[in-house]
Amino acid sequence: MQVALKIWRYDSSTGERALREYEFDAPEEATLLDCLDIVKERQDGTLAYRKSCRMMICGSCGMRMNGAAVLACKVRMYEIAQAGEVPVISAMGNLPIVKDLVVDMDSFWQKFKAMKPYLQPGYEEPEDGREYRISQERMNAVHKESLCVNCGCCVSECIAMESDPEFLGPQALAKGMRFVGDPRDAATVERLEEYSGEHGIWECTRCFFCNERCPKGVDPRDAIAKLGAEAIKEGIDRDMGAKHAKWFIRSTETTGWLRETELVPKTQGVVSSVKQMKFAMKLISHNKAGLAFPPHVAADVGEARALHKLVHEQGRLGFEGHVQGERALAKLAHGYKEGRDPYAPGSFPRPYLPEGEA
Amino acid sequence: MIGEHDVLVVGAGCAGMRAAIAAFDAGADVAMISKLHPTRSHSGAAEGGINAALGNAAEDSPELHAYDTVKGSDYLGDQDAIELFTAEAPGDIIQLEHWGAFFTRREDGRLAQRPFGAAGSPRTVFAADITGHVLIQVLYEQVCKRDIKVYEEFFAWQIAVNDDRAQGVICWDLLNGGLKTVRGKTVVMATGGAGRQYRATTNAYACTGDGTAMALHAGLPLKDMEFMQFHPTTLFPSGILLTEGCRGEGAFLVNKDGERFMQRYAPNALELASRDVVSRSEQTEIDEGRGINGSVMLDMRHLGPDRIIERLPGSRELSMTFAGVDPIFEPVPVRPGAHYHMGGIETGNDGETELTGLYAAGECACVSVHGANRLGGNSLMETITFGRRSGTAAAEWALSHTTSDVPESLERDAERSLRELLDRESGERPWKIRDELGQSMLENFGVFRQEEKMLRQLEILADLRERYRSVYVEDKGQVFNSDLTQAIELGNMLDTALCMIEAGIWRKESRGAHARPHDYPTRDDANFMKHSITRWRGDGVELSTSPVRVTKYEPEERKY
Repeated sequence: MQVALKIWRYDSSTGERALREYEFDAPEEATLLDCLDIVKERQDGTLAYRKSCRMMICGSCGMRMNGAAVLACKVRMYEIAQAGEVPVISAMGNLPIVKDLVVDMDSFWQKFKAMKPYLQPGYEEPEDGREYRISQERMNAVHKESLCVNCGCCVSECIAMESDPEFLGPQALAKGMRFVGDPRDAATVERLEEYSGEHGIWECTRCFFCNERCPKGVDPRDAIAKLGAEAIKEGIDRDMGAKHAKWFIRSTETTGWLRETELVPKTQGVVSSVKQMKFAMKLISHNKAGLAFPPHVAADVGEARALHKLVHEQGRLGFEGHVQGERALAKLAHGYKEGRDPYAPGSFPRPYLPEGEA
Repeated sequence: MIGEHDVLVVGAGCAGMRAAIAAFDAGADVAMISKLHPTRSHSGAAEGGINAALGNAAEDSPELHAYDTVKGSDYLGDQDAIELFTAEAPGDIIQLEHWGAFFTRREDGRLAQRPFGAAGSPRTVFAADITGHVLIQVLYEQVCKRDIKVYEEFFAWQIAVNDDRAQGVICWDLLNGGLKTVRGKTVVMATGGAGRQYRATTNAYACTGDGTAMALHAGLPLKDMEFMQFHPTTLFPSGILLTEGCRGEGAFLVNKDGERFMQRYAPNALELASRDVVSRSEQTEIDEGRGINGSVMLDMRHLGPDRIIERLPGSRELSMTFAGVDPIFEPVPVRPGAHYHMGGIETGNDGETELTGLYAAGECACVSVHGANRLGGNSLMETITFGRRSGTAAAEWALSHTTSDVPESLERDAERSLRELLDRESGERPWKIRDELGQSMLENFGVFRQEEKMLRQLEILADLRERYRSVYVEDKGQVFNSDLTQAIELGNMLDTALCMIEAGIWRKESRGAHARPHDYPTRDDANFMKHSITRWRGDGVELSTSPVRVTKYEPEERKY
C-alpha cells in the first residue's frame, strides 16, 4: 500500500525545525513504527525515534500522531492509508525534544522516583518465610496501575502539567496508587502526605485525557481519584482540592444540591473569600449567585443521604468507593459481546483428535 | 573516562538488574550500562511465567524440576548447575513477592502456578500474561530504592581488556554522542539474546547479541551456539509472541482441517510437549501442506470469553492488533519463530568466565541450564537466580581488588575504528544486509537443519560479512545516532551467526533444538553428548568441545 507521512523534524544542536513529507510503499500489515523504519532505512537515515519490542510492552515508541499521543507500534496504517490521510507525526508533549521524535525523559523519571516507587515492607511479613497471603480480588485494586509501561503518553497529554511543569502528573501518581493500594505496603499515610503536597494529587484538572490516551488501559485519572479518596479517608485534607471535594460531599448529603455560595469559603478559607467579596457582589448583581439562607433543600434529598449512608455502611471509603478494574477489563474486552457463536456455520472447523480422545 | 565503579553491569533487563541489586547488597559500588532505559528491556516482553517448585498447585520438588529440566535439555544441560538452580529458585520467587511483584493468586491467597510444556507439575508462577513486565517493574523499583547509577542509552561496544582482566567497557553515548569509557573492577555481561538474526522472531529490535559478540571479540569462548529455540506460537506474519500460557490454559494447535495434530507427535503431552518438539511438529505440518498460508492455527475458542479475558488478555490484544483476529471467535495463525538462544558466553555456576573480572548472566550466558532446549518459564528464573549469583560473585571479587585501569591506547583504537565507520561517504545501507541475514538464517538454519544448507549459509555469511566491510552510516551526527548503533549491531549479529553455523555443522546428530531429520535423525550420546565451544581466531571461528557435567541423571530417550 502507498503511505504518506508528515514528520516534524528537529535538530537540538542547531535548533532547526521542519515538517517533512515522506511517501513510500509499505506492506498492508504495517504499523506506524514499521513505516518509520522504512523512512529511516530507505529515505533518510538521520531520522531519530525510539523503538524496541514492537509489541506494546516496552513503552519506547511514544509519539504524537495528528496531535494525540500513541504508541507507534500499536497504530495500524492500513485504514489511514486507504482513507488517503497523511498523518502528522511529532514528538510527545510536555517533555523537551532531543531530536525529531526523541524526547528527554529525565523529568518523567525524576517524578517517578519522587513517588518512592518501591514496596515499603510491612511489619507483618509472613512468619513461615513464604509469600504473603492475599486474595486476588484485593490485589485487583491495583491491577490497572500495574499495567503501566512508562511510555509517557499520559504525560504528553496532561494539561495540568502544561501550566505547572512540576506537577507530578498522571504516570507518577498512578505508580503511587500502585503502592497505596497494595496491602503489603506499610507506608500508606506517609505516601498520601507526600503526594498531597503542592504539585500533587489535587493539581489534576480532571480532563481525563490521560485515561483517553493511555495505550495500556491504566486509567491514570482513576488512580488519582483513588489517591484523593484515600487521602481524605486518612484525614489528609489540608489542600484546597481536598477541601473542595469534601464540601461537595457535605453539601449533597445535607441538601441534595451543591451549595455553591459556600464553596469558596469552604475551599479557600474565610480570608481569601473576603478578598473576593467584590467579585461575589458582581455575580449576585447579575443573578449568577444567590445568598439563599437557609439553603434550598432538594425534594428527594433522602436518596442522596441514603447513598451516603450506604457507602459508610459498606465501608467503601477510599479507593474501595471506586469501581475496581471494571473499566480496564471493559477495555481489555475490546467491546466483546455475548451472543456470537464461535462455531457457527462457515467458521473454522471444531478441533478433533486424530485418534479420538486419549 | 566518565565513571569508575566496583562492578559494572552491561544490560539492564532481569538478569542485569538482579545482578546489580545483588552487587549493591554485597556492598559494592555498582553501575549499569544499557542501550535502552532499564524498563524497556526485552525481559519485559516475557509473558507466560517463571518456574519454581513451590508446590502450591500440586506436589512438586526441586528434584522433579531438575529432572524435567535435564530431560528438556536433551541431556546437554550441566546437571550440577541445574540442581543448584532448581534448589534456589523457590527462595528467589518468594523474595520477588516480598519486594512487591504483582503475581496472580490462588483462592487461598498464595501464588498461583500454571502447567507449562514438559513440566511434570504445574510450577509456573505468573502474572496473567505479563509476567516479564511485572518482574522488570519490581526489579527497577528495587534499583530505584538503592539509587543504583544507570548509564541510560549508552551503547556498549567493546570490553576493555587490560592486564588479562576485564576492567571496563567502551560505549557510544546515544543521547549526546561520543565514545565514553566506564571503568569497573569487574564487568557483568547481561545483554540478552540475538533473535534479530532471524526474519521471524519474537525478539525486540534491541536483541542483537551485542554482549555475546563483545565477549567473542575479546577472545572468550562461546558455548552451544548452534541451539536457537523456536517458539511454537508466534503470530503470523509479525513473529510477535503468544505465550505458552495459552496452551497452559488449554488452547489447541490444529492444522487446516481442524485436526489436533500434536497427538501424532506427542500422544501424551499433546500441545504441552517440549517447545522443540512442538515447533518441529508444526513445521512438518506446514511443510507437508497441512498448514494455512505458512502457519498452523492456535484455537482458544473452547476456553470461552471469561477465561480468555481474565487469564490471557495480553495475548488476545496482540492477536487482535497484529493479526486482526479475536481468539474468542476465531483461531489465530501461528508458526515457529526464533525465540531464545540457549548458547552464549561460557560461564561457571557463579557467572564467572575464562577472563578474570568478567561475568555473564541471562540469555547472553550459557551456564548451561537449558542445554539443547529450554523449558518455558525457566529463562526468567535463570535471569533471577544466576543474575543474583553473578552479581554477588562480581562484587566479592571487586571488593577484594583495588584498582581498575583502561589504557588510553584502547580508547584511541576504538575511536579510530569508529571514525573509519562514520567517515565513510558511500556504501551499502545496513538494512539490505540485515534482511538477507534474517531470511537466509530462517531458510538454512531454522527449525530443521541439514549439511548442505548449513554449508550454503556459510557462503552467504561470508558474502554478507564482506559487504558489511563497506556498510554505510548515513547519519553523521552526534545526537541520538541510532543509524550508527544499528550498523554496529548488524556486525555483532553477523559474527555470532558464524559461530552458530560452524557449531551446527560440527554437531552431526539431532538433539533438542538442533534437528537434522534428513542426515542425522537421532541423538548420538557416544560422540556428541558434549558442548560445542567456538572462539574467534583471526577473522574466523575455531571450534572445540567441553564435557557435560553429569550428576545423577542418566540419558534416556525423550518422549512426551
